[in-house]
Formats: sequence, structure tokens, C-alpha cells
Amino acid sequence: MKPRETKNLNGADFRMSASDIVQTQNLTKTYGDMNRVNKVDLHVEEGEIYGFLGPNGAGKTTTLKMLLGLIKPSQGTVKIFGESLSKNRPSILKRTGSLIESPSYYGHLTGLENMRVMQRLRNVPDQNVDEALRIVRLENHKNKKVEQYSLGMKQRLGIAMALLAFPKLLILDEPTNGLDPAGIGEIRELIKSLPSRYGMTILLSSHLLSEIEQIATSVGIISEGNLLFQGRMSSLRAKSRTAISLKTFDNVTAERLLINQGFSPIQSGGRLEFHNLEDTDVAEINRLLVSRDILVTRIEERKKNLEDIFLELTGKERSL
Amino acid sequence: MINTIGLEYFKIRRKKIWIMITFFIAAEILWAFMSTSMSIARNPDHAVWESVIFSISSMNGLFMPIISAIVVSRICDMEHKGATWKMLVATNVSRSRLYAAKYICTNSLLLYGILAQTVLMITFGMIKDFPGGPPLYLLTRFIGGTMLTTLAVTALQQWISMAIKNQAFALCLGMLGGFIGMTAGMFPSIARHMFIWSYYLELSPVTFLYAESSSTYMEQPMGLGIVVAALIMTFLFYIAGNIHVSRQEI
Repeated sequence: MKPRETKNLNGADFRMSASDIVQTQNLTKTYGDMNRVNKVDLHVEEGEIYGFLGPNGAGKTTTLKMLLGLIKPSQGTVKIFGESLSKNRPSILKRTGSLIESPSYYGHLTGLENMRVMQRLRNVPDQNVDEALRIVRLENHKNKKVEQYSLGMKQRLGIAMALLAFPKLLILDEPTNGLDPAGIGEIRELIKSLPSRYGMTILLSSHLLSEIEQIATSVGIISEGNLLFQGRMSSLRAKSRTAISLKTFDNVTAERLLINQGFSPIQSGGRLEFHNLEDTDVAEINRLLVSRDILVTRIEERKKNLEDIFLELTGKERSL
Repeated sequence: MINTIGLEYFKIRRKKIWIMITFFIAAEILWAFMSTSMSIARNPDHAVWESVIFSISSMNGLFMPIISAIVVSRICDMEHKGATWKMLVATNVSRSRLYAAKYICTNSLLLYGILAQTVLMITFGMIKDFPGGPPLYLLTRFIGGTMLTTLAVTALQQWISMAIKNQAFALCLGMLGGFIGMTAGMFPSIARHMFIWSYYLELSPVTFLYAESSSTYMEQPMGLGIVVAALIMTFLFYIAGNIHVSRQEI
């Protein structure tokens, strides 16, 4: 991958390479006899927006918590910035911002005071506080007590606190929870802009495929603790291949005939399905069947969308 | 570390913990001064500095465990309520440092309460015109003994308040401690020494000798064994709590 030039908050240039920022090996978390996370090998490259996708209870939050050292893995290793988390936790966390599960806040303090708490811990200048509040558009509400904030505002404050030190790695667990559609759009655009504006690598989790599809450059799909797919978003999209579906009055005879003629039909739901067919092949199949008095009642083109692929991978047929 | 302690003070703004301590101490002092005044009215020989020091020490057995439980609970509960503990732990500041900062912050607030008691005792003695000036030695021992017991009590309370989200447990423990502290004088010494809450009286510089005809206040020699026991309990409660909370999964 060609190095990309970006700017950090202070405008200084730096280069990003394609090295792994987050790397886990055999990461496992067991509760009782159950593996909540099972041998997950996560690879997040520098400068990318990695979408960690999975249904509710798939093990996303547990995995992210292990990356931050909030819970201890039962097995496996975590490397962040090429350093072992168990050996260099403070140095890693200094360069990492996070928002895990629900936003964290002191309700009796104002938004600004909450930011000051993080500022003291992170030891960053006032400029960062102003900038982070401006980014999440909370500057006009900063003097209001957080207990009076709406859920969306609390979520924005959580994001601002995670952004405060403009870290190299930003881990966001379901960051659009509680936001209205306009807010979701804003946060999405914000997240998309962070790698190029501030040189951040973003690892965000969601159970919403549409959200990940619009933001992520890479994706990891987890279900029941197992990482089912990991790769570039483009490779996932490439799986959304087109199929030709054909319905006849006698599918069994039609299938036998077409196999003899060198085609590869698959019986699926009372229809014959074909992959990678040219237009001429479709015409030839139709001609063959009609010439043998097998009447064709439907010829349809079916394209698998990402949702179909996701459901196929996770085995979930319900709404997520 | 100074920064982390400063952060604890910053976080408790608007919590009115100072005011709450002041009200509790005021109620305790009022009660103690009324009973001392009545005692003096019945027996003018009790108009001595020792009487008020003993009265406050015995009242502390009831009040201090409860005040400590409430203060610790208020300081720890804000981390549970807003789920901020995970946010703090996800920064590069160690859990042990955050735990220590809370402990120091709590005890500095309670030290304020103990010092307030001392100042009010001196004021009461001067108003009542007790013989001699304020007994600095006894008052210093009172501050030291009360603070040492408080250090152990808060170590135990912080452990419970941080480890268990539901603060009802911590507050119940405080109330149980108050009950034990109040009734400690009725237990045999071996039983008394097992409960940290009875140490407010054990480490008091003054004791009260009951006799059939007359009873008197007298200076209680400082028991090195009791001091060591309180120190050991402080150390054990603090270390156990720190290790437990630091290893707890969030």
C-alpha cells in the first residue's frame, strides 16, 4: 500500500504505512464453559476505518474491552502499535482513545468539566478541549450539567472525550447509539474524516451493516465469538455476485439436461440457479429447454446484497 | 499523583460532601456537649477537659463509621453511576493510582471533620472554663487515634464501595460498624479488639473508670499493640481492596 500523507491536529506532516496497529492472536475469552470470544485474530492496519460487525451478543464489546485491558483474555495475545498490551499497557493507552458501551460521564458536572477531568488525565492543552467540543458540536451546551443532556448529547460528549488527546488509535463501540438520523449522519462524516485529518486509525463496532458499509474501509464480521470474515470492504462487496434464477415446469429433467450440456445448475427453492453466466449462455439455456419441450416460466437475475452475505455468514435470519 | 488527587477534588464539586460532614459533626458535637453539660451539672468534678474528649471519642464510635461510609460511598458511587471507572481505567493512569487518590481524598475530608471536632472541643472547654489550658498532648492523641481508626475503616469501606456497585452494602456495613462502635464498651476486650470500629474508644487518650461510689475520667495509656493492630488492619484492608479492584473485570 502506498504511504498516504496526512496532518495531525497541530498541522505537522507524518506518514502512515500499512503496518498493523492492532493485532490479536487466538484471542479468547471464556466465561464458564462458554467462549464469548473464540480464537479471534484481528488485524487493523494503520489509517484505516475498521468496522467490527456482528449481531448483538456476538462478542464485539468483549473483544474491544480486551484490547483496552478492561478484561483479561483467557487465552491469546494482543499487540497494539506493535507492542504487547500486557507489557506496555500505559504507553499503549496513552495513544488510544475509546468509547465503550454506553458513554461515561459525571452527571453532576458540566460538559466542559467532564472534558477537564479527561484533560487532567490525558495532560493535553485547553486547545484540544475546545477543538473536541467543536467537532461534536457541543460548544453551546458545554456549561450545562451532563445529567440534563439528552442521550445523543451524552454520546457526543463520550466521543469528544475519546477524541480529546487526538489519539493514534480510536476505539468506538457502537458510537451512533442513541443518535437521531441527522446525528448519525454527522458522526459518520466525522469518523470518516478523522484518518485523513488527524492521522487516526479507527476501530468501530456496530450491529448495523448499513452503518459499517458507509464508513468502513475494512471489516471484520464476528458471530457467537468467532471471526467469520476479515478483509477489505471491497472484498466483501465482491462476494455480492450476480446469479441467474430459472423456473421451469420440470426442474429435474431440466437440471439433468443442462448438466449434460456442461452447465452447473444448483437446485434452490424450486428454481435452478446459475452463477457467472454470460448473456449468450442464458439465451442458450432457454433455447435448449424450449427445444426439449420444457417450458420456462421465469428467468430472473438475482444479486446478493451485503445483507444477504452477512446473514449467510452469521447464520442469522432474523433482523439484527 | 498530586494531579490525580487534585482530580478527585475536582470531581466532587457540587457533591456538597464538606457540608454533609459539617452537619454530621455538628449533630454529634451538639449531642456530646449536651450530655457533658448534664454530667457536669450532676457532678461538678466532671468539669475537666478529659470529660469532653471521652464523650466525643465514645460518640465517634457511633458517628464516624457512618460518616466514613457515606463519604466513601459518595466518592466511589459517582464512578459507578456514570460508568466512569472504565473510562478512567482506559487511560494511561494506573488503577492503583486512581484507588490511592480516592483514599487520600476521602481521608483528607474526614481529617477536616476530626480537626473540626478538636477545635469545637477546645471552644467548649474554654466556654465551660475547664481548669488549665487545652491539653495539647491529649488532643494530639485524640486526633491521631481517631484518624488511625478512620484510615482502617475507610480502607474497608472503599474496598466494598468500589467492588460492589450497589452502595446499600457499603452503607449497611457503615451502620453495622456504628452499632459495634457504640456498644464496644460492653464487649470483653478480646472481642473488642477484633472489630476496627471499637478502636475509636480503644485509641482514645481518656477512659472512664466506673466505681460504685464515684466514677472518674483518667488518661488511658497508649497501647502499642492496639496501634500496631490498627495499622495492620489498615494495611490489609487497603492492599486487599486495591488488588481486588485492580483485578476486577469491567
